[in-house]
Amino acid sequence: MIGSLSAAGVLASAVAQLGGSYLPQLLNYLANGVVFSAIIVLGGIGLSLVYSIANFANFAHGDTMTVGAYAGLVTLGAIGTAGPTLFALPLGFYAALLAGIAVAAVVAVATHYLIYEPLDVDSIGLLITSIGVAFVYRALVQLRFGSGTYEYGITVLRPIPWIEDLTGITLTEHEVAIVLVSATLVVALHVVLQYTTLGRTMRATADNEELAKVSGIRTERVITSMWVIGAGLAGAAGVFLGLYNQLSPRMGFNLLLVVFAAVILGGIGSVYGAMLGGFVIGMVNRLTPVLTDVGIPIEPAYANAIAFVIMVLVLLVRPTGIAGEEVT
Amino acid sequence: MADETRSAFEESEDTRQAQIERATNAVLVAAALALVGGTLVGLVSPSYLVFLVSLAAMYGLLSLGLNVQWGYAGLINFSVAAFFGLGAYVPVLLSASGSPITDAVPPIVGLFAAVVVTVLLALAIGIPTLSLREDYLAIASLGLAEVVRLVFRNQENWTGGTSGVGGVPLFFEGVPVLETLPRDIGTVDLGIYTLSFQFWNGLLNALVVGSFVLVSYLVLRRIHRSPWGRVLRTIRSDEDLAEALGKNAYAFRMQAFVLGSVVTMLAGVYYAYSNYFLTPDIFDPIYTFYAWIAVILGGSGSNRGALFGGVVIVAIIEGTRAFGLSASWRLFAVGLLIILVMRFRPQGVLPPRDELIWPGARGGGSDE
Repeated sequence: MIGSLSAAGVLASAVAQLGGSYLPQLLNYLANGVVFSAIIVLGGIGLSLVYSIANFANFAHGDTMTVGAYAGLVTLGAIGTAGPTLFALPLGFYAALLAGIAVAAVVAVATHYLIYEPLDVDSIGLLITSIGVAFVYRALVQLRFGSGTYEYGITVLRPIPWIEDLTGITLTEHEVAIVLVSATLVVALHVVLQYTTLGRTMRATADNEELAKVSGIRTERVITSMWVIGAGLAGAAGVFLGLYNQLSPRMGFNLLLVVFAAVILGGIGSVYGAMLGGFVIGMVNRLTPVLTDVGIPIEPAYANAIAFVIMVLVLLVRPTGIAGEEVT
Repeated sequence: MADETRSAFEESEDTRQAQIERATNAVLVAAALALVGGTLVGLVSPSYLVFLVSLAAMYGLLSLGLNVQWGYAGLINFSVAAFFGLGAYVPVLLSASGSPITDAVPPIVGLFAAVVVTVLLALAIGIPTLSLREDYLAIASLGLAEVVRLVFRNQENWTGGTSGVGGVPLFFEGVPVLETLPRDIGTVDLGIYTLSFQFWNGLLNALVVGSFVLVSYLVLRRIHRSPWGRVLRTIRSDEDLAEALGKNAYAFRMQAFVLGSVVTMLAGVYYAYSNYFLTPDIFDPIYTFYAWIAVILGGSGSNRGALFGGVVIVAIIEGTRAFGLSASWRLFAVGLLIILVMRFRPQGVLPPRDELIWPGARGGGSDE
């Protein structure tokens, strides 16, 4: 809420100050923001699901994204980039995406049963344990792949010519693919949550676990599904992040706080809030260069810092976030 | 007598705890003997031994500071690294020859400047966050610590940016006698070792960080048993009760937060002056998590445990290095340790028990 307001204000002054000549530049930031937002939204949904159903802040969520990204790397390496393409991405990449989703989901479910489930601690204990889990994930990735960076080895594309000619926005087909696939996943999740039994039981468990249990819902099964969905989306976010940027063992952990900012802005425990929060934080993050363009001396290096400050402000002013329910 | 009313379960808990304490002490003594023995037969250089002890003291300070915040007051502070970095940067930016600000202030004076800046930053982070729900505090404090890290990385005009600050002087520069003491002693030949400037300087730094630990430990132990400490323990276990008794929980938390931050800051001062060069890597959140492992492993609320935790952290960091294992293994060991402690001993190895009893009140068995 606050983020979007201040962003809108900055945008308005930017446009006024620099006139029409600034517009293409601004549109570029916006387009870039949409792409980055898609990744944050995918990450935020999982974090929000864990928060609402397992009741703790999962600090291993960022590293779950990393696990997904590297699983995609291995798959792409095995399949190769030959063959037909869709959005200029070889089919091998889509296989890598599926592998990233699957591996992240399996790892998260295994972690749940091996580590979280046997614990006899409160939600703070779970939070601290998840830091240990994050370190173990990252350490294993580093042991296997080293601490350097990787790329998916897919040819970097030039921006789509007709969009560039028409609007001046430089957008590659890969970026379009990230947004479209993310949107598909989000719509699929919406359908699952609203129109299937699984979705209804998940919402019931998130609302009140005891009541759900008494009503005959097998909450254990719901929790497993929650890990599959949340970590699967995180895995997809990781693969997209690898395509958008590059892969490194810290990629997920570095993004974790930004995702937290999105989830808190949207309202902890609200999946739809997480989507909205993810969109706003992603946009604000990529619109930071506008600040220097209009003469405010805050460099783009502070993009994340702005997200964190927004997060703290939201916690202070409206801890329930945009869409959250009452927090006790 | 209190003992007679105890259940069998509590009794067995007590003997179990006693066993664990004995085992812990035995391991610590064995490790110390091994290190000293290694030094005597020429396997461990005296400089390295002094360095290990100093490092343990440094991590001990980090965990003592966090223990005030988490162990006493129940604050989930994930901004430890910000204060650690501040303790290193403030005096260095005032005293190092490579500092973009000034090199005219003696480090000892810089230490007091660091105390002032630390209190201000602690208030700046604490005022908005300390009233938050505990898990929100964790996320918010980590976020604000990241903001501090980003500022020190990017404000090159003040901090030298990512390239860091060079030309860090000795800690006692500007102090008569101590300033030149390590050089004045000169080289001493002990047969298997020659003790040179490096050793004497390390020893002096060890004494500095050692005295930081000693003073912090004594002060914290004293105040933990004081009425102030009792109020904090009440707030931690039942905030509503404390409020009903007329205690301002927010103010007490703030005091604990500031106090803990100052202790944390002292660790940064040692870090800065034991190196010749300072980079923003000191703000890495890993230091926050090291402090957390130390406190949780030692036992939340226990100062003894916090120091023990500091020793274990050094054992992991330097142990993996000694065996030639990569940083990834260190990370793995640290992560695994967190998981194992939370799984098998969430109260820590040396949870606070006797620490909270006045020495004079012991032995009578009367329950006030």
